[in-house]
Amino acid sequence: MSFTSFEFLLFFPAVVLLYNIIPQKWRLFYLLAASYAFYAFLQPVYLILLGAVTATTYGFSRWMENAEDDDRKHRIMVWGIVVILLPLFFFKYFNFVNETITSLFQSIGIGITMPTIRWMLPLGISYYTFMAIGYLVDVYNEDVEVEHNVCAVGLFLSFFPIVLSGPIERAGNMFPQIKALEKSKVSDLTNGAKLMLWGYFMKLCVADRLGIYIDAVYSNVAQHNGNSLALAALLFPIQEYGDLGGYSLLAIGAARCLGFKIVPNFNRPFFSTSMSNFWRRWHMSLIKWLTDYIYTPISYALRSKKMLGVVVALLVTFLVSGIWHGAALTVICWGLMQGVLLSIESVFQNKRNNFEDKFKLKKNGLYVFVCCVIVYLIFAFTEIYGMSSSFDEANLIVKKIFSERGPLFVDFISFLLGFASLFILFVKDIKDEYSLGSGLFYSKHVAVRIISVILTIVYVLLFGVLNGGQFIYFQF
Amino acid sequence: MNKNEILEKLTPIFRKELEMNDLVLTDELSANDIDNWTSLTHMLIMTKIEETFNITFKLKELKKLQNVGDMVTILEEKTK
Repeated sequence: MSFTSFEFLLFFPAVVLLYNIIPQKWRLFYLLAASYAFYAFLQPVYLILLGAVTATTYGFSRWMENAEDDDRKHRIMVWGIVVILLPLFFFKYFNFVNETITSLFQSIGIGITMPTIRWMLPLGISYYTFMAIGYLVDVYNEDVEVEHNVCAVGLFLSFFPIVLSGPIERAGNMFPQIKALEKSKVSDLTNGAKLMLWGYFMKLCVADRLGIYIDAVYSNVAQHNGNSLALAALLFPIQEYGDLGGYSLLAIGAARCLGFKIVPNFNRPFFSTSMSNFWRRWHMSLIKWLTDYIYTPISYALRSKKMLGVVVALLVTFLVSGIWHGAALTVICWGLMQGVLLSIESVFQNKRNNFEDKFKLKKNGLYVFVCCVIVYLIFAFTEIYGMSSSFDEANLIVKKIFSERGPLFVDFISFLLGFASLFILFVKDIKDEYSLGSGLFYSKHVAVRIISVILTIVYVLLFGVLNGGQFIYFQF
Repeated sequence: MNKNEILEKLTPIFRKELEMNDLVLTDELSANDIDNWTSLTHMLIMTKIEETFNITFKLKELKKLQNVGDMVTILEEKTK
């Protein structure tokens, strides 16, 4: 079931209630059962896969624990990673690789047919696969102890708030909490519910509302002029922020109601003054994972190459990010674009810092604003390639944006409600970014807290898109 | 090598790579305190330290470093 489904509104309070009633010793099995039930509601057959990845992760971590020397531990870790990656490759990349090979052979006049599979992508596979790999590497690096309870590993990889779309959690944060499993505090319940409410607002009122306009334009690129396509391209990053940012708050809030503190995933990304700053604020759990397990080992191995080593590490890291996001050349290209942009920034980072210091620009409001706008525009441009199904489509959008003028396609209701919600979202983000008070949900006055929560609920019910839109990031 | 000797060798490395001629190293100083101390300059500093002290860091060791104080401690051990 999705977080925005009716079933979830029944399932979730029941899970939280029972969790707080049963004795502590049963809670691990109970949460594991609830998580598997949640997953089974969507894709029962792929529970086998989730269970198999859990068993593999557990088995390799125990094997590593019993290995005598470091080289052997390293080999076990590498084999564990390969085995854990096999299902991800099979379900997500098998067809893509085969189609690419087929078209390559066809381009040189050799007609071959490669097999294809027509099975649905297991939900959350990209997320729990990365979490499992992270755990094995952390065990090898002695950052975490090996977990001896297979149910704890099972809950780590299947915990229902985060199993479908993250945040991508780490063993070091999760296992101590899985060990504790204490009753929810009142503050956990209220803060968790507030986070969830804001998540619903971001998803239903911002992302899905703006998504109506964006889908209408992007689903018919040939018929829309450059102005409408430009507006859709400009709104798309906000839709994604509302979608995954909203989903993340729902996940973090739901986990908080059960006493769990999950890592944040977004930190007001549109206040970034550089691309590197942006990627420390956008989908943070994925970037932290990529930094720790891809970027750092590569840049360490290539440290004698100095700047070249860093550039190679950045390019490989964001190539992997692109591949993770989707089995399509456009998405891989999108990942490489990020890598190239970050490489350029890295090369000029010190010069930029010195320039900003010399002219005291870091606190200059106009300079900061212009930098934020430039970063936003660059990201929005790269997203045209990230969301397009082919290079032809992406190139057509870009060409039209820069050449074809005409009257703007207007969807009045989506504009009115979407922009009103966007305004509210940005007011809140500005308040958080510049620490302007505690906010209405967390006001010291009870009446303000209650009224603001009630008004937000009413707003979501009145103006949210409630007909079950899908989360964009489920497809990853 | 004692702490003062290590700091004497470390200071010019940090000053050059961070482009800060008047930088004074303290135990608490970390990448959070200096804008120029990015992941790139961090790796450049580490490479220079390896060359200067004729040692090699393991990735595990690098990951555990939180500040200059940690760096001095590990260098004290490696140059015993």
